[in-house]
Amino acid sequence: MATKQSTAGGVLTEDEALEIISYLVASAETSLSEPSHYAIFRLIDASSRMIGLMLDHETPRTGEFLRRFKAEVDQKKVWMMWDSEAFFDFVRTAPAGVAAEAKRLAAVDDLEVKEANA
Amino acid sequence: MSAGMQADQFFEVLKSRRVVRSYTDEPVSDDDLWKLAQAGRWSANGGNMHPHRFLITRDATQIRLMRTFAPGMLVTPPAVVVLLTDREVAARLKWNLDASYIHWVDTGTAAQNMMNMAHALGLGTCPVTSYSKSGVSAILGLPPHLIPELLLMVGHPKPVSRELRADAPKPITTRDLTYWEAPGQHDPT
Repeated sequence: MATKQSTAGGVLTEDEALEIISYLVASAETSLSEPSHYAIFRLIDASSRMIGLMLDHETPRTGEFLRRFKAEVDQKKVWMMWDSEAFFDFVRTAPAGVAAEAKRLAAVDDLEVKEANA
Repeated sequence: MSAGMQADQFFEVLKSRRVVRSYTDEPVSDDDLWKLAQAGRWSANGGNMHPHRFLITRDATQIRLMRTFAPGMLVTPPAVVVLLTDREVAARLKWNLDASYIHWVDTGTAAQNMMNMAHALGLGTCPVTSYSKSGVSAILGLPPHLIPELLLMVGHPKPVSRELRADAPKPITTRDLTYWEAPGQHDPT
């Protein structure tokens, strides 16, 4: 029976993963003293940084989405500094875009499994 | 230049400076960075005590690693000036930094002078206070008496467009910030 497709694309090197870990632990520290909405910004920015590192590798399944999503994040994350409501609106809607991509991948995988089992 | 000379031009430099978070790959010259250091040296300084030191780096690896511990560095700039407090200077002056904020005010005046000087030179800057002090200190190999107070990203600006919604909040005005004679009185009497 066929199984779900392997998803090795976009795997970070150890050094790149350490960059993300460094960023996250540093953000945890700065969040102790910064305004609370900065922490929201850090999480969104972390997603951009991680995507940037992933795109240095082959990303055959998600590359198109990741490039588009990173561009949107980088454009809209800075709204936090001069239009916080627009920034919060983006934060509220961003997961839906990622979820749609996750559903698309799941549908592709399901179809492949069905075809293999047919 | 005496105070008052070319005041309008000087004000334009102050008013047109913006925080820059997008830089070209062009290196920043020794001369330009030295001018920034000089601008920091001539900033208003509590008691003329000069507790600060300026660490200038253009080492790409050092900057890249520093950025991983500095969430406020949204990009990787070609140069960074790290404004440090030297606790040994304070100790010699019997100055209790833990009960004082003068050195933070001095950090701000030095950084502002540097940012204005950079703008006058055609450079862009971004002050960064969101970083892990322990992480950045480790990356830079700072001894315990040198405390990183502010990171100033420096580079040649890369133009970016800033699109605002039509109903985006209006920028705060000088009048909003200013009281005359009494709190809440926004106009001169």
